Amino acid sequence: MSDKAYEKQNPAFYALLVALIFMSVGPIVLMFANSFKLDVDITSGTGGLLFMPTIQNYETALCDVLWYEPEHLDFCGLKFGGAFINSLVIALVSTVLTLVIGCMAAYALVRFRFMGRDAASLTTLMVRMVPPAVLLVPVFGLWNNEFCLDKDGLVGGMIRDSFGGRGDVCLAGTHSGIILIYVAMNLPFVIWILQSFIMQVPRSLEEAARVDGAGPFQVFFKIVLPLIKPGLAAAAIFTFRIAWNEYLLASALSDRDTKTVPILIVNNMSEFNVEWGVIMATGMLLAVPPIIFTLFASRQIITGMTAGAVKG
Amino acid sequence: MPTIRLENLVKRYGNVQVLHGISLEMEENEFTVLVGPSGCGKSTTLRMLAGLETVTEGEIYFDDKPVSMLEPKDRDIAMVFQDYALYPHMNVAANMSFALRLEKRPKAEIDKKVRDVAAMLGLSDFLARKPGELSGGQRQRVAMGRALTRDAATFLFDEPLSNLDAKLRGQMRAELALMRQQVQKNMIYVTHDQIEAMTLADKIVVMHGGHIQQQGTPEELFKHPVNKFVAGFLGMPPMNFMDATLTEKDGTLWAEGKGFSIALPEDRANAARNTARATVTLGLRPSDLIFAPDASSDQSLDLNVIVSEYVGAQSVLICGCGDAKVTVELKSETPIALGETLRFAFEPDNIHLFDTKTEMAL
Repeated sequence: MSDKAYEKQNPAFYALLVALIFMSVGPIVLMFANSFKLDVDITSGTGGLLFMPTIQNYETALCDVLWYEPEHLDFCGLKFGGAFINSLVIALVSTVLTLVIGCMAAYALVRFRFMGRDAASLTTLMVRMVPPAVLLVPVFGLWNNEFCLDKDGLVGGMIRDSFGGRGDVCLAGTHSGIILIYVAMNLPFVIWILQSFIMQVPRSLEEAARVDGAGPFQVFFKIVLPLIKPGLAAAAIFTFRIAWNEYLLASALSDRDTKTVPILIVNNMSEFNVEWGVIMATGMLLAVPPIIFTLFASRQIITGMTAGAVKG
Repeated sequence: MPTIRLENLVKRYGNVQVLHGISLEMEENEFTVLVGPSGCGKSTTLRMLAGLETVTEGEIYFDDKPVSMLEPKDRDIAMVFQDYALYPHMNVAANMSFALRLEKRPKAEIDKKVRDVAAMLGLSDFLARKPGELSGGQRQRVAMGRALTRDAATFLFDEPLSNLDAKLRGQMRAELALMRQQVQKNMIYVTHDQIEAMTLADKIVVMHGGHIQQQGTPEELFKHPVNKFVAGFLGMPPMNFMDATLTEKDGTLWAEGKGFSIALPEDRANAARNTARATVTLGLRPSDLIFAPDASSDQSLDLNVIVSEYVGAQSVLICGCGDAKVTVELKSETPIALGETLRFAFEPDNIHLFDTKTEMAL
């Protein structure tokens, strides 16, 4: 490929490129612009870029973490700080758990021969086909009624004594409950991604490590894991984003103290009013952590990790 | 260093048997080369020795201690893989010290060992590089170095040179021979290249179809192959084979075929008489055929030159003799023309006779 081929691109190609960029960036620009408008400006229908920017929406969204009391608010109804921490805990813990379980499961599925291996490998992907909405009702029922500790029992009693509350101690409304369903949801895809990465690790590398004196776990942690780092990063980005953005299950399974940021956003809609400005501002804030996470994780995606291992 | 003994080693994959009872003894510090065509079971044998393949039947003894159930790491072996199998995420020094670090040896000792081996292999300048930044020959050296850094009692080589280009292969072969002089360890080397086998080995084990065909020193195998397979496998260009009929004339046994009639020397004749067969396969090495226009016809072949392959000082002639093709090695300055019929003489002692049916040497 020479520079000439580069210069002589068809103008239509650029038109297509611009259209694609407009489609992907447009909504974000709109959200960004609207987050600095008063609701009046947003709903006025002028829709233009001419308005008086204000940080009032951000003040409302962040009212519980600000060190001062915004003038326009007489009551801070949004607990963004708490929800943010909930989101962070749930997304990070479920990502870590998914990766740990996923890479081990993928390794076993690729390298070990056992009965039902192919079936297990296929089923993991089929679980992925189930839409979350289908899971919602049964999971809600189970989390609320089945997976509970008796409040009079030993552990359940201890939890009730220390944290208060009424009724049995159930999975519903806890971080663990949401994390559990997120792990279950993301695991199949992660296993599926990592399988293909593990398959690319030459078997002779593992054999060399075994001859060099490594046990099965050392082979896995010192040889295989570093080599599938790009796969882990890709899987991490994917899992984190899903867990971070997920709304449906979190809305059903969280309670006042464990709700995540996406749930919080919807709290700005009531039968009287939709606070578009605050919704946009929270949306912008919501978008920041995944961007940071993706930038960080994508650095690990270096192609050609196994280059030079074996002579092809 | 242990003596290694394989006893009736059998390997089956499902219903397919790839090794049919391999029995072999390797002396202390011996350089043993397992050689044979692809699929002959040589690599499987080596991998069983390493503990990377399970033993179906039979047993491997290191100094009379059965090891077939031991993990690779408990066998005190180091192995060089055909594809090098370097850890791509570690630099050269880390690759070479991996085993020592697993053993939790003191850092100073590890550093010293790595430096010594790197110096020996000419890798000192590359210790900080990753395998991906090295050339094929250097990677090969790192693979060698990784094995040498450990003080393993036994070294296993699985076709270590087969991925290198011809020139580099020759160079590495010489370096291996040199290393062999410095490192007195048991070495077991698998290759399909008979030149590597001949040049490196103390003992060659020729394998074919999951059986050992013959074992012995390179010279023994070259001079006295026990069957047609070994005879044809060792030596380059390979031995010429011609079918001949035996006829007794005036107390001399003659091997006659299309375009030749050779008087067999007494010892060969006796061996041939004992089999009481009418036909034999005659074997003559290309290097044993000497251009001699004046030789007597009962100790020579009249060959019609079909192709002449010029390879420098030597030329390899492919000639016709009756229906058979005969290869001859010849000094290039010998004036010959294609299509000419020339006479090539040979020493009667250099004649090999094989049973046509069983292919065993007579």
